[in-house]
Amino acid sequence: MTIIASYNIKGGVGKTATAVNLAHIASQKNHFKVLVWDLDPQGATSYYFRIKPKVKGGSKAFISGTRALDGLIKATDYENLDLLPADFSFRNLDLALDGHKKPTQRLKKLLAPLKKEYDLIILDCPPNISLLSEAIFEASDMLLSPMIPTTLSLRTLEQLKKYLKDNKLNHLTLLPFFSMVDRRKKMHNEIMRDITDIYPDTLKSVIPYASDVERMGWERQPLGAYMGRGRSIDAYRNLWNEVWLAMNA
Amino acid sequence: MSAGSLYFKCPDNLTAKKFLKKLAKIVTLEIVAQEYMCKTFYDSFDSLLYTHNMICEFNHSQKQSNMCLIDRKLGHMIATEMVEDMPRFVGQCAEGRIKKLLVSSLAMRAIIPLCHLPLTVYRLNILNKDQKIVLRLQLDAYDDLNHYVRVLPLKGYDKAAEKMLSVLQAQWHFKPAKSTALDDALKSMNQAPQSYSSKFQLKLTPDTPANEACLHIYLYLLKVINKNESGVIEDIDTEFLHDFRVAVRRTRAGLNQLKNVLPDNELAQYAEFFAWLGQITSTTRDLDVYLLSYQDYKLILPAEMQADLEPFYTLLKQKQIIAQDSLVEHLTSDYYQDSLANWEKYLNSSVRKSTKTDMGGLTVKELADKRIWKMLKRVLSEGAAINHDSPAEALHDLRKTAKKLRYLMEFFASLYTPSDIKLLIKSLKQLQKVLGDFQDYEIQEISLKQFKKELKDNQATENTLLAMEKLVTHLEHQRGLAREKFADRFNLFQKIEHQAQFQLLFAPAQKVKS
Repeated sequence: MTIIASYNIKGGVGKTATAVNLAHIASQKNHFKVLVWDLDPQGATSYYFRIKPKVKGGSKAFISGTRALDGLIKATDYENLDLLPADFSFRNLDLALDGHKKPTQRLKKLLAPLKKEYDLIILDCPPNISLLSEAIFEASDMLLSPMIPTTLSLRTLEQLKKYLKDNKLNHLTLLPFFSMVDRRKKMHNEIMRDITDIYPDTLKSVIPYASDVERMGWERQPLGAYMGRGRSIDAYRNLWNEVWLAMNA
Repeated sequence: MSAGSLYFKCPDNLTAKKFLKKLAKIVTLEIVAQEYMCKTFYDSFDSLLYTHNMICEFNHSQKQSNMCLIDRKLGHMIATEMVEDMPRFVGQCAEGRIKKLLVSSLAMRAIIPLCHLPLTVYRLNILNKDQKIVLRLQLDAYDDLNHYVRVLPLKGYDKAAEKMLSVLQAQWHFKPAKSTALDDALKSMNQAPQSYSSKFQLKLTPDTPANEACLHIYLYLLKVINKNESGVIEDIDTEFLHDFRVAVRRTRAGLNQLKNVLPDNELAQYAEFFAWLGQITSTTRDLDVYLLSYQDYKLILPAEMQADLEPFYTLLKQKQIIAQDSLVEHLTSDYYQDSLANWEKYLNSSVRKSTKTDMGGLTVKELADKRIWKMLKRVLSEGAAINHDSPAEALHDLRKTAKKLRYLMEFFASLYTPSDIKLLIKSLKQLQKVLGDFQDYEIQEISLKQFKKELKDNQATENTLLAMEKLVTHLEHQRGLAREKFADRFNLFQKIEHQAQFQLLFAPAQKVKS
């Protein structure tokens, strides 16, 4: 079983679309049993799956252990794909974790019983770097980090790399990739080239800025559920192939 | 979600159209698929899947075909797999859950079709106000039988499932399915799952006259022979011939071991017939065993040599086809059919039941005690006479005697306390295992040398001959190990506690030598 966090310090870079689409592809193409955990209080992942962003007892209930995560899981409309929905109380997840012993180990411990049932768990993370992020890093095997090719992206990636190094999070494989890319923009192409030169382990797949992806909010479905072929879905499929190879490396 | 039934039989006369109309009135319904297909139920000849509470279906439509395993009691789907055709043997299944489950239930038995049912399958989604699926249903609308509804709850949406179950049961009076479409189909054809078992399970009462009991034993064995005969001729799977031969051997053991119970002069011709039957079936069975062992033979060899054994498989297969043809010829001959018919006529003749013989006047319990005790003493004395230097023949003779004892104990098992007789059969089985292994390894060694010679004559490569030689060496080594185990195993069998139990059961009035 592998735990992948879809994470970036910055917001609005395509973390949720990545989590939703990769989960859907892994469950349909590879027949993996997949769980997505919507950790973002905005509940966008839950919205895409048409599931109410509500968790019984809020974040306190599962952080304290009074409710097991398994009892909070909801089946999505897709075979082999389940969701742990978001809850508005997740805005205070940092506080809930802080009140617990060994807060950075807490998510890892809570997820342990689900290892038997799922082949893949994808965490859709809120932006920022906080106590919750630290707990996510401890629990995850891979950090899949979408970045828009802007000057700030390079800085953010450097910050993240430094953080992982300083905190000796050696178990964590960082997989950065470009998201919301507009090939018509010269700056996007130049920044992508520069970052790839500095960080050659950046994944090759590039997710385009496309209206197909924006339509997910209208359709309330993963891309693959309403379109068979297309630039965007093909890009996510390629991205999954690269992630899958990294999982098996 | 409670563990109640999720599988319901629709009331008579409820059409799919009516059901869907009723359902659409109370929920937001989405018909995902409506597919006309043919469902074929499969099981082994001896209903092993049915016995293990499983139903195996092959669902074939224009679009796709799949193989499903269903829990017979609860109606739940255990596993499903897309397949183009149904495999005939478990070994032909793709690796996965279905294969794992079938291997433990079916072993080498063939999967044979029981009946075909045409139906329309409706896959239905129940949606909430956000158009999210909260429950799935499947309606199996059979052309000629009552329809069935399967409720498929979704994780985290227990309330939707509970509400639907309440509607089905409390409002629409659907009953949890106690039978399956397979049961319904078999019933409509006046058929039932086979009650066949290869185990000898005849219930005798202690005071039945011995001659009458013997007739029942022979009739029971004759039924087994008859039940397996067509499977042997059609070569459905190797178990038909195995069970056929066991019944023949048991009959022969009865004819030899239960002398003077029925008039010996009348039985002589049948003893000759059954000896012939044993003989004409042995080549095919031996080749079946070699073919079944082929994968094990390959694994004995290092990986790089395994492919060299292929010509051996081809030779076995060719020989098996020839042997099977010859067997079919024998089993369709007048001699076979007339002899078996005469045997049946003889057994059923009520006149024979009152024929006076030396032992025929005994009760079956007296006969059983006497014969089992005598044979046990023979096993003990033959075994005790075997030492490290004894020839292989001594062990083979003991194996035959032990087998006779085993058959006698199985014939008459119902006359004794089940736990006592089971315990003694178990200890005898362990002795037989060592003796059987010793004999099997020796026979295989001899046969493999012969096969090697034939392969050489057929211009097989040096590598193939080398692979065969390696197998022979391995078997020789295994035979040596089995020989070494004999002394310990026999000592366990003849230990005083076992003998005391044997005596208590079969000869309470006599003393056992310690």
